[in-house]
Amino acid sequence: MVSPFCWGCLTRLRPTPRTLLPSPSSVSRGPAFHTSAVFHAGLRPGSGRGATAVSKFRQPSNASMKKRKKPVEKSRPPPVGERKAIRKRIVLSNPNALEVEGLQELSEETMVDSRLHGTALALPVPMLDQLRAVQAFKPNQGWSIFRRPCTILRQETLQLGRFFDKVSGDGEHKGPFVKKKIISGPSKSGKSVLLLQAMAMGFIKKWVVFTIPEAQELVSATSSYAPLSEEQPHLYVQNEATAALLSRTVVANKAVLSKLRVSQDHPALSAVTPGMTLEGLANLGVQDPASAWTVFQALWGELTATAAAPGLEKNFTPRPPILVTVDGLGHWMTESKYRDAEFKLVHSHDLVLVRHFLRLLKPGGDQPALPNGGALLYATSTTMNPPSVYAFDLILKRAAARAAGFKFNDPRFPRAEAYSNIDPRVLEALTSQKSKHAQEKKLGHQVLGGVTHDEARGFMEYFARSGLLQETISDEWVSEKWTLAGGGVIGELERIGRRLRVAA
Amino acid sequence: MAWSSSNCVVHAMQSIRSPTVLRALLPQQSAARPNILRKVSLLPTPLQQRTNVRNYATELQPGEVQAAAEIDFEQFKARPARIVPVSPSYFSGIPKFYDHLLQIERLLAQHTTLPTVPPSEAPRRAWMKIAQFREHLGEEVPTKKYMGLLKVVYRLNCIDPKLLPAEVDAALQEFVRPGNPLGEKPKPRELDGMGRARGKGKRKESHAVVYLVEGEGEVLVNGKTLNEVFPRVHDRESATWALRCSARLDKYNVFARVKGGGTTGQAEAITLALARALMIHEPGLKPILRKAGVITVDPRRVERKKPGHMKARKMPTWVKR
Amino acid sequence: MVFILGVNFPERNLVKKALQSFFGIGNDTSARLLARYHIHPTCKVGELANKQVLDLTAALSDMKIENDLRRKVLDDIKRLRETGTTRGRRHALGLPVRGQRTRTQIKTAIKLNRVDRRL
Repeated sequence: MVSPFCWGCLTRLRPTPRTLLPSPSSVSRGPAFHTSAVFHAGLRPGSGRGATAVSKFRQPSNASMKKRKKPVEKSRPPPVGERKAIRKRIVLSNPNALEVEGLQELSEETMVDSRLHGTALALPVPMLDQLRAVQAFKPNQGWSIFRRPCTILRQETLQLGRFFDKVSGDGEHKGPFVKKKIISGPSKSGKSVLLLQAMAMGFIKKWVVFTIPEAQELVSATSSYAPLSEEQPHLYVQNEATAALLSRTVVANKAVLSKLRVSQDHPALSAVTPGMTLEGLANLGVQDPASAWTVFQALWGELTATAAAPGLEKNFTPRPPILVTVDGLGHWMTESKYRDAEFKLVHSHDLVLVRHFLRLLKPGGDQPALPNGGALLYATSTTMNPPSVYAFDLILKRAAARAAGFKFNDPRFPRAEAYSNIDPRVLEALTSQKSKHAQEKKLGHQVLGGVTHDEARGFMEYFARSGLLQETISDEWVSEKWTLAGGGVIGELERIGRRLRVAA
Repeated sequence: MAWSSSNCVVHAMQSIRSPTVLRALLPQQSAARPNILRKVSLLPTPLQQRTNVRNYATELQPGEVQAAAEIDFEQFKARPARIVPVSPSYFSGIPKFYDHLLQIERLLAQHTTLPTVPPSEAPRRAWMKIAQFREHLGEEVPTKKYMGLLKVVYRLNCIDPKLLPAEVDAALQEFVRPGNPLGEKPKPRELDGMGRARGKGKRKESHAVVYLVEGEGEVLVNGKTLNEVFPRVHDRESATWALRCSARLDKYNVFARVKGGGTTGQAEAITLALARALMIHEPGLKPILRKAGVITVDPRRVERKKPGHMKARKMPTWVKR
Repeated sequence: MVFILGVNFPERNLVKKALQSFFGIGNDTSARLLARYHIHPTCKVGELANKQVLDLTAALSDMKIENDLRRKVLDDIKRLRETGTTRGRRHALGLPVRGQRTRTQIKTAIKLNRVDRRL
């Protein structure tokens, strides 16, 4: 009798016990019409598991495929402070970069030489320690790709150089001039480097340089604070920050301060002896942070003195001009992160250190801000960080309008919007009044944008001469990079220059 | 109705075509007419033999022209001898289509010797789409046949426009889409009164409008500088690529407004808009820009998500049950 | 190591977190305590002046924290139970007290709510 099923149907249905199947030899091994894996698996003579042990659908066929957990490497975290040190580390030299031939250094002559406009000038090597001490270098600036730190002599730098020359030069225009300026600009436009150039010029001209490298650190509630005194409980003193400022100032200005002697009375400080150098005075505050604020006040009083106190005339020598730079002024225009005893936020202007430096900036005070001349350069970014403060933005707009020649009565002069929640303290602290002192100008405002094509060309040539660029630098090439850098924003130019190096 | 049946028609035709058979069936005819017929049958010339075989009632017998008898309108029945459709392709199902086809094929045969121009130089006309043509004729024309017709139309359109006969032109006009969208070339764009060229571009979800003026290579996007808008250098490069590849980067100032989408889309929307604006300033740059790929529109958009899918195409994992 | 209210804290710990280790002091209370004694929020225990440590200890000893607070909470629950209120009954039954649904999601109540509640 013929079975109604053919072999093919039966074998394809399910794995059949092997005994049922014809022996491998009996099946013709011609072209395989049945592509069923099961069929062939059963037929394979060497198959150890045979047709019975067929793996289930979508399951790992053998145990060895199971994922084995990798042992987690347990390493100790880096020691305390090491991560921060790495983050803040500043490398000023790259031995792989080429030495640029014919590189000129920043000096009294070169910083006012308009023929050098647009070229790179090296910072003098002995000055690097001073600049490091005042934290003029920032970790995100590209110092580490060149042989030695250089800056581009741009138009704004030349203007600054001329001012420095005017204040402490030998010409007939010499006088205690004071420049008060807020430098604003988009990020990476070279504000901090301009401050650095100012500091370098200050060191060259033997000025006393005070810097706040990160204004935000004073208001972000990361250092200790305390009420100033019982009488003024709403004012707060930051002893550690003040001590740090003093130590920066002492290290950087050692040469100047060690030649000046105390010439005023300081009843609040018992440790001060007549004939002490100002360096020694400042070191008192560094050693004892609790008295740092008093020492700072004393030091400031000494440096701004125009004449000696009676009885101390023999210690008096004319005081040098002072340069004050603050980076990140915008952070000082809101409430700080500190809290008072009632758990309310302390306004930044209630911190004495901030208040001191802001009061200097305000024109029209009874006392001249810097009787011996000098410059107050406060930089702030107009993009994202710090968050914009309406009152401060208004002040900057007004300064720009005044620079453009609009009078206060002009309808185009910027005014506060009605119902804008404007901070009266900010407005009051920076509103420019008629200056009472002839040598003190109004609060200036400088917008730092991109560099010009010539300056960009000089900068890219410096890249090429340092061996970082393979391209031949033509005007077209430079102007292309100038456009890509958002109109010559110098930080972006540097980034593009670096990028090319990686690509090449 | 009997006429509707094709069999009846055939029978009627047959009966008309062979009057000899008819004669036998109709013995009592009028006097004049059977005489003629008889005479015909009595003179079996070869010609007449042939006409006898294919004899039409309406045909005249040669040599025997006689005035027809007066028609008695009293007796006249209002029924034609046979019904002839207007169109010879009446029975094809799509007669109007075949009429058109025959007409232009005849024209082609007639004018096939006229000089032609290459298809790229032939006048651009927007021919009817198949759906439009069907609607126009009211017939279900198969797509393939319409394509065949269009081939003839294309060929006729390639005849040198200066020598194009009026009848061909009129025949071709039949197939042009109403309104003839391609017929009128858009007016070439020009600079506005202040020397600005305006170009628009789209990419992904972004729309960009670029105003291009002569200048020194400054770029403002939404009032901000290029580096503020595009943190990636690559995006900046692609946004200004049209100027870069034509070496015009320091000759123009760009003011762009862009909205929608992400950074890549915005950058490439600006690319397209910028290239179009640049072509207004310098139309001669078109080949360069075309080669650089900046005036090619990228029409790709995100594919929509479908129900039952996790994303546009992705299906959830199949589970047995 | 610095003693605050009899507890020894390593010097590298944040003062704020150290205060929060006491039962009954959370984020807000510790921030307010720091503000009262002019201690900045990122201050480490080792940076505290002696006076500040004493101030903090004095302030903490005036507050009802740790065992006092635990006892008070237990007393409150007991009082509720003894006066026969619904809340007391719910505590005793180990069910949610504040009108939550009981069909699902009462694991926490089952675990914690009882008259002698574990704190």
